[in-house]
Amino acid sequence: MINTKAAISILWTTLTCVVIFGSFILKNQVHELENELSRINKEIQSDAQNIQVLKAQWSQLNNPQRLRKLASEHIFLNNVRAEQIINYSALPFRYEKASDKNVAIAGINKKQYKQLVRAERE
Amino acid sequence: MLEANISKKSKSYLLSGREKKVSGGQIFFTENLDSQSILTCKQRMPYAIAAFLLCYLIIVVKIFYACLSSGIVISGFEDINRENITVIAPVSRADIVDINGTIIATSLPTVNLQVAPKPKIKDPEKLAQKLAYIFPDEDYETILKKLKKQRYNDIKRNLSPAQQAAVNNLGIPALEFVKSQARIYPHDNLFSHIIGYTDIDNFGISGIEKSMHNRLTQSTKALQLTINTTVQDTIREELGKAIVKYKALGATAILMDTTNGEVISMVSLPDYNPNIKIPVGDRAMFNFATQGVYEAGSVFKTFNTALGLESKKIKVSDKFDATEPLKLKGITVSDYRGENRWLSVGEILIHSSNIGSAQIILRVGKEKQREFLLNLGFSEKLSEFEVYEKAKPLFPAQKDWHEHTMAAVSYGYSLSATPLHIISAFNAMINGGIYYYPTIIKSSNVPSPRRVISENTSKKMIPLLRDVVVKGSAKSANIDGYQVIGKTGTANKLVNGRYVQKKVMTSFLSAFPADSPKYSLLVVLDEPKGDDTFGFVTSGWNAAPTGGNIIKAIAPQLNIPADFTLDEQRKHIKASFEK
Repeated sequence: MINTKAAISILWTTLTCVVIFGSFILKNQVHELENELSRINKEIQSDAQNIQVLKAQWSQLNNPQRLRKLASEHIFLNNVRAEQIINYSALPFRYEKASDKNVAIAGINKKQYKQLVRAERE
Repeated sequence: MLEANISKKSKSYLLSGREKKVSGGQIFFTENLDSQSILTCKQRMPYAIAAFLLCYLIIVVKIFYACLSSGIVISGFEDINRENITVIAPVSRADIVDINGTIIATSLPTVNLQVAPKPKIKDPEKLAQKLAYIFPDEDYETILKKLKKQRYNDIKRNLSPAQQAAVNNLGIPALEFVKSQARIYPHDNLFSHIIGYTDIDNFGISGIEKSMHNRLTQSTKALQLTINTTVQDTIREELGKAIVKYKALGATAILMDTTNGEVISMVSLPDYNPNIKIPVGDRAMFNFATQGVYEAGSVFKTFNTALGLESKKIKVSDKFDATEPLKLKGITVSDYRGENRWLSVGEILIHSSNIGSAQIILRVGKEKQREFLLNLGFSEKLSEFEVYEKAKPLFPAQKDWHEHTMAAVSYGYSLSATPLHIISAFNAMINGGIYYYPTIIKSSNVPSPRRVISENTSKKMIPLLRDVVVKGSAKSANIDGYQVIGKTGTANKLVNGRYVQKKVMTSFLSAFPADSPKYSLLVVLDEPKGDDTFGFVTSGWNAAPTGGNIIKAIAPQLNIPADFTLDEQRKHIKASFEK
């Protein structure tokens, strides 16, 4: 009987100690996580600010006037004209089996023709 | 002696079998206790145990709470976490983006430099010199004055990071950085009249910045416009060329979606750079597209013809006598370079006959004309349109609406409206008869659409307007690949109450593609000169070709397929290979 009583007391004491110890550990972990959260939030905030600045900069770099100037200086590309957009069926070699005559009409050499045929197959 | 010893011992010790069990293994001495005392103990015991357990529980719970976290209520835990995770937007004023999400107005987090009253600055002259060096655009004297006053004055707003670092390195405790935001317009002049700008305290003072100020400050979600940046740029570019070529004082263009009233582009030249907050004169600050109330001239014949057909008083096949000027009470209506013959309804539009138009409206009647124009919104300000600057049209009063007013209005005089009014009404003429309220904001709450003419009348208008471009005054807008419909208009300007020759406002009201008009375009040139056009200043010489050039450039951008035949397309392929 005495043993049971002692066992219960020991059990309660141990449990209490475990709970207290566990709670302290939990508290510390929560603190650490809170610090981590706060740090991450700060980083997110800072990144959001940077993204905001970069977005504005990207928009400025994509200013059509600037792009037009750069394009004319470096790549010699102009705006697309209506006649540059053609139907696929307008390509002469699709229906006409690409006789040499048609190739000659299209004013392209055989190498270019082969490339176009390959492109068509793909 | 032994007995006595035994009885003495028995007071202190109990022999086996002489003890008495009470309950739960508890042992009590029976020697000096009567049964009543034991009973009382037994009764009190559970209370004592309960009291101790309660104390114990309280202590455990208290320790548990204390260990979890200081001051945090458990039930509110999730809320606190959620609050922490939410990222606060870096700026408080929402961005403005175009239809494709391109930023056209944004805010950047910056800092302002302020001088605090304490601690006292020891050598303000030397500090002012250093600050003037860091901020070359600030005046030394002004800085010095602020430093001497030391009263929370802003020395410089919106510092760059380099400037902030430089000031920090000076190590002056009285110089403080205050968090701020700078409104930035990355496209400079491109959207000036649409967006407007904000003052130094980020308060919208013109354009959408003003009209949508509450929306922009209440939510940080970007405000999406219906504007397309590339199309806007192309149109601005073409208008700029037109201004140079025709030496015009200004130019305006509006591109709208005829099927929903969305404004895709709105340009008014001259314009200004909203990043540089200096008013550059009235003209540049004036948004002609929404504020420019003007007499549009013959473009109104479109409305007049539609009204005639809608009223069933005229038919497309009807002919009208335009052999000589029409004399009415108060005015004589004549044609510019008239045909001097009978004209069909189509020819009245093709040759832009004032005489023919006046005859149409005289057949229709005054009431119907007024009612029709009122229904097209020509009497009221487009107050729901989201750009702040708007003007009310000059709509003649009922009592002033005489026969000559009817005639004048039929060909676009006596009634002044803004380009936005005109193009919005024009959309209804060609889209099947529905008037869509113009809007520049995606998912806006503008008034709902209404029918103004029948679908049948609208269908009849399209070939008539196509003929104007193919055979009539707008031939210069008849571009390859796209079937454009339209009507030109030239109106003399009123100077000191008199119409002045050679000072004109030219307009070209158009739409494309003709088989089912999706986009409408209005181009207006203010006082174009005839130096390059053999002295001619009418719309067919300046506004129409400008409109044609614009459509040629923007139609591919708007994904409208050109209607070249297969043979034509092959010719283009051949030509491009030959190049």
